[in-house]
Amino acid sequence: MKAKGSIERQLARLAEALVVPSWVLILSVFALPILGALWLSFRNETLGAFAPPKFIGFENYTGALADPRFWESIRTTIWLTILGLLVQMPIGIGLAVILERNLRGAQVFRTILIIPMLLTPVAVGLMWRFMFDTDLGVINWALSGLGLDGPNWLGARWPAIWAVVIVDSWQSIPFIMLIVLAGLAGLPKGPAEAATIDGANAFQVFFYITLPALGPVILVILMIRIIDSLKMFDIIFIVTTRGGPGTATQTLGMLIYNTGFGFFQTSRAAALGILMVLMVLPVYWLWRRAAERG
Amino acid sequence: MKQATRRRIGHAVSYIILLGAAFISLFPLFWTLSTSIKTRNDTFILPPKFFNFEATWKNYIAIFDTRGFGQIYLNTVVITLASTVLCVLISTLAAYSLARSPRFRSRRPLEMSMILVRAIPAIVIMVPLFTITSKLGVYDNHVALILMYAAVNVPFATWLMTSFVGQVPVTLEQSAAVDGAGRLQILWHVVLPLILPGMAATTIFVALLAWNEFLIPVMLAGNSAKTLPVFISGFISARNLDWGPMAAASSLAILPIAILTVLAQRWLISGLSSGAIKG
Repeated sequence: MKAKGSIERQLARLAEALVVPSWVLILSVFALPILGALWLSFRNETLGAFAPPKFIGFENYTGALADPRFWESIRTTIWLTILGLLVQMPIGIGLAVILERNLRGAQVFRTILIIPMLLTPVAVGLMWRFMFDTDLGVINWALSGLGLDGPNWLGARWPAIWAVVIVDSWQSIPFIMLIVLAGLAGLPKGPAEAATIDGANAFQVFFYITLPALGPVILVILMIRIIDSLKMFDIIFIVTTRGGPGTATQTLGMLIYNTGFGFFQTSRAAALGILMVLMVLPVYWLWRRAAERG
Repeated sequence: MKQATRRRIGHAVSYIILLGAAFISLFPLFWTLSTSIKTRNDTFILPPKFFNFEATWKNYIAIFDTRGFGQIYLNTVVITLASTVLCVLISTLAAYSLARSPRFRSRRPLEMSMILVRAIPAIVIMVPLFTITSKLGVYDNHVALILMYAAVNVPFATWLMTSFVGQVPVTLEQSAAVDGAGRLQILWHVVLPLILPGMAATTIFVALLAWNEFLIPVMLAGNSAKTLPVFISGFISARNLDWGPMAAASSLAILPIAILTVLAQRWLISGLSSGAIKG
């Protein structure tokens, strides 16, 4: 008994030592800057100001909350998240279900279908932008072939939001597909087979048996996709030139960038960042819950 | 008979959907590559030329002639490799602790911090990091970038590695301990050889993420540490959008990944479906 206890203590000491490098990186690259943001957010630092910066209390926060651009950016972020989920979840799950049937060539298709998620977002964003071009883009050309009049994709709010959703979906669907595929592989085959024998068709099996069984997996995917929608940056930066036209696709993240690096209002940007952290916390809490249950 | 027909229709529909999805997945890639070897005239034309154009290397030559491009590519390779090695090493150590030691004091705080690192948008820390790196004189510094790249990927790599370490039977370590091996010896001689494939898969992923990283270098790299994604993003501020060279630069970013995907697909998929659940 005593020997076992000492081994355990020895292991715990080793474990403590092995995580030191992770702690150093996380604390210096994340914790310290977030404290820095907190500190900055109570000051009035702007680049190129003449007066020396000083503490101004909650002014940056009240200013941000009173700014219509802040609320507009929140709305844009929420819309991008909701539309993205509505497009990506059904397609990702559908493709996984089809691949799971293991038709001949399914492996090859799987490899092809995951390629978009691996490619450099900045590079593919640029290419999609070219394809979205109103006059010379291949998308509107194809639409006109179908007798449709393609929108001025990047010239108006809703088409631009859809353009971002499309590019984001193109890159994110493979992720959903792979996770669902892994989830499907872990499901017992029995219930679905029994239902088929009892005369249920493929759709009934899917909606009444497979989908409910995938519940926990889908919950995890939803959480990750919401987090990644909040984080979305590269694609908007490129496809709509940092949130354009005007501020039509300016998400909260893009607003922080434009405030801090476009207008050099360092402190205001830091305050917006702290507000963003506060918005992420509920999602974080959900994650903990899901992780503890899984 | 009827059932066979229905099954055949089901298969046909599946294949049509898969082919459509494959087309949509590959077309932008094809379009990038083909635009990169088109002349200006063939680029700006309707109907678009898919195959019937004359190939040219002009766009690539224009990119390679861009001042500093060699340095940019080299920066991207160096920062990617160095940060990946650092990240995978650190994450493997942490993963060993998380997988093997159910109770150590900083376990829960570490798990919580990793989720937060993954969940909090990195843009939030960029504003203060810009101030901090400027004050410390490490703005546009390779080493600083390497550390930051490694840090943002630590949670993902740690989760992935934890699942790989977890697959190593504990009994192996116990019998080695009975034989009198020290903890570090066990880690090195027993565990490490068994998790090498997992480390390889993790390395590929982290390298991909680092290669594609944009937010950190666009904020914190100036001219001397500039990376390829930042270079590519520079095209959007040009007045005349020059699609040929733009596509050539994009191809130079994308091609290594496409090749890697084909070569390492088995590892990619095993890694993606095991540990990627969280990241």
